[in-house]
Amino acid sequence: MRIITIIFTFALIVAINIMANGGDSNPTVTGKCMTCHKEKSPGLYNQWYMSEHATHNVTCLNCHSADRKDKDAFEHEGALIATLVTPKDCGQCHDKQFSEVGNSYHATAGQILKSNDAYLAHVAGGEPVAITGCESCHGTKVVIDKNSPNKLSHKNWPNSGIGRINPDGSLGSCNACHTRHSFSKAQARKPEACSKCHLGPDHPQKEIYEESKHGNVYYTNLDEMNINSDRWVVGQDYFKAPTCATCHMSEAPTQKATHDVGQRISWTLRPVISKHKENWKKKRGNMKQVCTNCHGETFVNGHYYQYDALVHLYNEKFARPATDIMNIVKKNKLMENPAGFSNDIEWSFWELWHHEGRRARHGASMMGPDYTWWHGIYDVAYNFYFVFLPQARAYNDTEVNTYIDKMLTDDPMHTWLSQDAKTLKENIRSGKMQKIYKKLFGLN
Amino acid sequence: MFTKFGNFIYGISVNGVSKLGVVLITSSFIIFLIAQLAMLTEVLTNAYIGLIVYLLFPSLFVIGLILTPIGWYKYKKNTGKTTIELLNERFEPVDTKAGVSGAKVFRTFIVLTIINILFLGCASIRMLHFMDEPYFCGTACHSVMDPEWTTYQVSPHAKVKCVECHVGEGVGALVDSKLNGAWQMISVTLNLYERPIPTPVHQLRPARETCEKCHWPDKFYGTRLITMVNYKRDSLSTPKYTSLGLKIDTGKSGQRSGIHWHIAQKNEIRYASVEDKREKMLWVEVHQLDGNFKRYTNKDYQQKPDEIEKIRVLDCVDCHNRATHIYEDPQRAINKRISEGLLDFSLPYLNREALHAIIKIYPDKNTAQNGIANHLRGYYKRNYPEVITQNIAVIDTCISVLGDIYNRNIHPQMNISWGSYPSLIGHKGENGCFRCHNSKLVDENNNSISYDCVLCHSISAYESSEPFMFLTPADSTDRDFNMHRYLQEEFLNCYPR
Repeated sequence: MRIITIIFTFALIVAINIMANGGDSNPTVTGKCMTCHKEKSPGLYNQWYMSEHATHNVTCLNCHSADRKDKDAFEHEGALIATLVTPKDCGQCHDKQFSEVGNSYHATAGQILKSNDAYLAHVAGGEPVAITGCESCHGTKVVIDKNSPNKLSHKNWPNSGIGRINPDGSLGSCNACHTRHSFSKAQARKPEACSKCHLGPDHPQKEIYEESKHGNVYYTNLDEMNINSDRWVVGQDYFKAPTCATCHMSEAPTQKATHDVGQRISWTLRPVISKHKENWKKKRGNMKQVCTNCHGETFVNGHYYQYDALVHLYNEKFARPATDIMNIVKKNKLMENPAGFSNDIEWSFWELWHHEGRRARHGASMMGPDYTWWHGIYDVAYNFYFVFLPQARAYNDTEVNTYIDKMLTDDPMHTWLSQDAKTLKENIRSGKMQKIYKKLFGLN
Repeated sequence: MFTKFGNFIYGISVNGVSKLGVVLITSSFIIFLIAQLAMLTEVLTNAYIGLIVYLLFPSLFVIGLILTPIGWYKYKKNTGKTTIELLNERFEPVDTKAGVSGAKVFRTFIVLTIINILFLGCASIRMLHFMDEPYFCGTACHSVMDPEWTTYQVSPHAKVKCVECHVGEGVGALVDSKLNGAWQMISVTLNLYERPIPTPVHQLRPARETCEKCHWPDKFYGTRLITMVNYKRDSLSTPKYTSLGLKIDTGKSGQRSGIHWHIAQKNEIRYASVEDKREKMLWVEVHQLDGNFKRYTNKDYQQKPDEIEKIRVLDCVDCHNRATHIYEDPQRAINKRISEGLLDFSLPYLNREALHAIIKIYPDKNTAQNGIANHLRGYYKRNYPEVITQNIAVIDTCISVLGDIYNRNIHPQMNISWGSYPSLIGHKGENGCFRCHNSKLVDENNNSISYDCVLCHSISAYESSEPFMFLTPADSTDRDFNMHRYLQEEFLNCYPR
């Protein structure tokens, strides 16, 4: 009886081990994969061949083998495989990264289907643009199609969106940053990896970085970034410049590397009115620890002092009043058409915060002067004063007009509109004008 | 003797028409004999002379033979005389006097007729014989046939006459080919032919009548080991080897398999292709002797309702479509010349620059020769001045070899450039084997014809640093370890011990 129990236990352990390893990874079958794919898709093969995976004998079936119970499993040349390699698959070896990614803001990007952005793409654009535009970056909800050769719906495959909702329940796609089949660390450390998505009118992080001192020195010292090094600690393994990864993810002497990109971000610059993130002080502290490898503490504090003030300026001078006005417009049912985005004021309000408002805030956060002002607050002001307010006034609604009139006469940030230029210039020279904005500095 | 023939010729030359006939007969006869003598003694060798001797003179001779009686008949009609009266008028009485074996003039007529028949017979045989010579096919229509003639001369079939594949045997084939040839003459004269000329696969004789005369189906080739070398486009032109065990004929003759399974007696492969071009398949069927068959249909192709399917039974030329007129792939042409020692790859970037030199588009062959020379000399002058000063002769040899590659394969006057006539043997892109062996042709159960890499060949080196690399012991630290092991086992399992 005892022997039977031992044998049974042993068999159970073996079975669990096989299941945990994702099924068949027979070297002969892998050899067959390699043989054909070297001929049929030599680019793919060579990417793998030169990768760290090949060095460590991580081959096709280690990632692509599937279990019978996997919804996307299919037979291919004698092997049961799945095309889709999810963070859960990668997590078999990279468990820390898997868990960090799963908890990150990136992993929630696939929830876009419930957002205003997706609504706009579907109504003003149409499904093809929602798929090829939004979902390419944000990720799609992968649907199983039994008739598709790899069991994945053509609408969902290919897709490498960072918040992809996978059939195994995991969120995201590692190859959003570590492009297949090289899965390179170096690639993800370079700003180009992020700039597949972080660019354009609504979140031009790539352009801002390029404009900033950080980007400037990075592109000047491309060859001195030690980018392929296994260990990549800022200030120690490289010091010429930071990339996106340096500040948000990579290791610093006092900060561990993390795949949870939000751990060093203190403001959320995404919504209409910016607010601090949960545990923002700790997160800001994390970021400051990275900054201080290259900057003195006063320098870093100075940056945050200036950046915070810009965010408050945007919030208080434009975002709050615009939000208030929109709320009155909606409350009083002033808009002619019922559907969201079917009235011009909705578009100008949207662009005010979603486009130029974000540009200004992102510009300040990453030291991009032109994006903060000319592509940022300048555009916000133009939109606010000469597009949005006239559109609101056009409703001839007493409550709206009272709000706007009061704002323009009582709020010192807006009274300049009714003053003469000579007085205003004198006020700027004397410092009186700057005093209006004193309250924005040093706020938390 | 000569007086007798002189009198006869005078006698029949009654007017301008018959005089012209007589002149044509005698002059073409005499010139033919002289030219034939000159050709037999190889004083004259040009194909055009053959064309004149074997086509023009016999034709003029026949025209002469036709004109002479026409002239006689016309004269008879104009004068209103009877034949007897005319004979008496044109010939001496002694010649027209009836003897035991007829009149002298009649005997002369009979003798000359026999000579005519013999002459025409011999001329026809010589003409047909001449037209069967590759030299005639290759050079008579020089500009049109030059590309085919060039490739034929360096082909594995250089000792096989054109007509043996393109005409075949039997009167029907001969008549067909002569009618076809007549049309070709017209199209060349009136400049009606296409450039490049389409491959005449549809007109080729069936392989059973041509190829199989030498390569009969019972011939068993077994597995053939080949190694191909491909030079990288790096500074050293590093050689990379691919060794294949081509499974041409495997198994026993009764259970025959391998690549030549396709033409085994017990199988018949039928197919229909898009626009009958034999490139993209509509469907493929495998028929067995007992009448059973299986069809694989192209699931990606929507057949048009009025599309006519032309059913073809697969034979040798469906794969060996360039068994003779082989146009090379530029990289493979260079690979071959380097491995033969004709191109010296100790010159830096020789492979890459040689390729760039020959794949440029040149308007004609002369410009190409200069362009190739300028490219290579220019490259080394700019980048490796020390190399050019020390290796002038080597570079000049390379230029000459590259010029030959160009001249063999590229024919601007016929719009033939790289890839104009792709080969279907093996596979490149979706061509060749992959026309049928792909995932799109499926049976009723959605199963495709196998396109497994080791179905038709074992792979014993694959862009490896040495030939037959995978037959050596596998190194577990090698990135290709799994592939190495798999291919080694596969190869060894083909030869059960």
